[in-house]
Amino acid sequence: MQSTWNKYVRMKRENMKYNLAKAKKMKVCYLFLLPYAALFILFFIAPICTSIYYGFTYYNILEPPKFIGFQNYVNLVLQDEVFLTAVKNTFVIAVITGPLGYILSFLFAWFINELPRWLRTIAVVVFYAPSIAQNAYYIFSIIFRGDAYGYLNSFLLQFGLIDAPLLWLTDPRYILPVIIVVILWMSMGTGFLSFVAGLQGVDRSMYEAGYVDGIRNRWQELYYITLPSMKPMLLFGAVMAITQAFNVCDVPRALAGYPSTDYAARTIVTHLFDYGFSRFEMGYASAIATVLFLVMILCNKVIQNALRKVGT
Amino acid sequence: MSSKKKIQHIKPPETNDRVDQLRYLAQIRGELPVEEEKPRLNVKKFLIISCIVLLALAGAFLLATVRLNAINAYNAAIEAGTITGEIDVTASTWILVRVLALVLAGVYALFMLVKLAHPKRRKPNRSFWGDLGIYLLMLLFAVAMVFPLVFSICSALKPLDELFRFPPKVFPSHVTMDNFSDLFVTMSQSWIPFSRYLMNTVFITFVGTFGHVVIASMAAFVLAKYDFPGGKLFFSVVVTALMFSGYVTGIPNYVIMSRMGMIDTYWAIILPAFAAPIGLFLMKQFMEGLPTALIEAAHIDGAGEFRIFWSIIMPNVKPAWLTIIIFSVQHLWNTNAATVIYSEEKKTLVYALQQIQAGGIARTGQAAAVTVIVMLVPITIFILSQSQILETMASSGLKD
Repeated sequence: MQSTWNKYVRMKRENMKYNLAKAKKMKVCYLFLLPYAALFILFFIAPICTSIYYGFTYYNILEPPKFIGFQNYVNLVLQDEVFLTAVKNTFVIAVITGPLGYILSFLFAWFINELPRWLRTIAVVVFYAPSIAQNAYYIFSIIFRGDAYGYLNSFLLQFGLIDAPLLWLTDPRYILPVIIVVILWMSMGTGFLSFVAGLQGVDRSMYEAGYVDGIRNRWQELYYITLPSMKPMLLFGAVMAITQAFNVCDVPRALAGYPSTDYAARTIVTHLFDYGFSRFEMGYASAIATVLFLVMILCNKVIQNALRKVGT
Repeated sequence: MSSKKKIQHIKPPETNDRVDQLRYLAQIRGELPVEEEKPRLNVKKFLIISCIVLLALAGAFLLATVRLNAINAYNAAIEAGTITGEIDVTASTWILVRVLALVLAGVYALFMLVKLAHPKRRKPNRSFWGDLGIYLLMLLFAVAMVFPLVFSICSALKPLDELFRFPPKVFPSHVTMDNFSDLFVTMSQSWIPFSRYLMNTVFITFVGTFGHVVIASMAAFVLAKYDFPGGKLFFSVVVTALMFSGYVTGIPNYVIMSRMGMIDTYWAIILPAFAAPIGLFLMKQFMEGLPTALIEAAHIDGAGEFRIFWSIIMPNVKPAWLTIIIFSVQHLWNTNAATVIYSEEKKTLVYALQQIQAGGIARTGQAAAVTVIVMLVPITIFILSQSQILETMASSGLKD
């Protein structure tokens, strides 16, 4: 036992010495990395660390932060009913738009893969346009307007499906579905582009071999050949989908108002925004940010593990 | 004996297509059933038949329209009392005929498209009806995706009275540029001259993008091409950082920036944009595809690291830096940065436009015009550069 431990320590030490020597030899690499690394640590790593720290304090910017232990987290769960609503809404949105948006963007990328080149280009632009046309979701506030001039309302009225205009964006019953529809509309993002490009790069001879080996229809081909060779893109797309599904903020704020009726459109991020930039309770907001961050990391780990098993 | 007889029925492939050859081999070995030879599509004949079908449908549509108009006139006349007789109730049948003709024509057009897209024999494992169904589904979704965009362009072109018409129409009946000219009037009356907002955005976008490309490419170069202690760890942290949105890091970022005295300066937007993880990520993945021999050859010729980076690597990753330029421009063009910039004369264009948009009912037309202006810039850039972007995205996968 003792000897194994000694051996382990010696190995580690030698490893470190080797790495140090290597690092000295490759000094120029660190020089290249330095500007990016400095800014990255300053604006991405340091914020996460300070956010975790501020989560344990009471901090309102004017006074220095006061350490209060887990009080913020206790308050989040036990006192803040709005936070629980926000968590519920965020999860409903994420569970629906995340997987659905991800699957839809893969399916469409796969469908358009076999179109002639010019048609494929048009299709890519059509599907990708909503997610880059940043504030185009504003138009949904006209489509879903609550009076009879709103397009959906007037359409339904004309066909006699409803007899009075529905308040799509102010009635708590409808707000969440409307937001989910809009987010799904915008969900063909960077992941979609990655899928389109990845599908073009799948080795053709694999399909030929598969045909000879007895693959008989497109779905078998998808499961046994396409998906396994797309794994890297699928992993990347999953990261993008999770990011998009959990960071819902602009759409509910623009459509349902801020704050929305009965907090029906409150998500974790809008809650964070409220405490951080309206009430300046930075400690509390940081606790919310930490929770969101942990949930996202956890979700990412689970999904990456699940995706590794695809097609094997 | 019998197997020899079978071989004579199998036609050897005429082309060099590998699928055909493989199929031929498999058929000789008896592993694949021999299929009936499907004739190639005769394009001329197909087009003539299609013309006849479409003309017939158009004829049905026209006939129905004419009948419908006649019936309507007749019924109106009876109601007015100019002629006597019973009200004709067959109008609904003709409406049905009209709708049916339109739907059939649409489906047939799609059918033609599928046929013409694969004029030769079909690919293996693709059934015709499967293709048709998928394309139909896709067309449906494409229309749904495009509708809000088309709709916002249309409402920007409507005069004010049409914006508030009941029932509302999608397409404007009198196209007008009034909304845009109104927008310019509002802009020219703003407290800060509008060119100032534009200059702010242009400055932020330009500096931010330039710095981002240079800094991220330098880091990506060493991460992709050299194996040094800590490099892999750093990259995996960057990949995790792809998930941080501006909101999660927003609050501590604000605190850090205010400590550094950067609040209310352009640097509060520009410096974080320098370190955007997506740029480094795409650049590194793309650079990994470059042959290492290129660098070794340059080393032997006596080039320094910086020279290798600047005159060998950078010219070879043109699609990648175009892509990260576009992503960065898109991001910076759309920042409103309301949380870090307070002085009015430093606000961005998008912020100013959003203020106009928030002006309520009276500004509905101008708001639509704003949406179109803000939307068109990134979409145009994407259309112009989409082949480069797709080339870069081909290497975007996350390896284990």
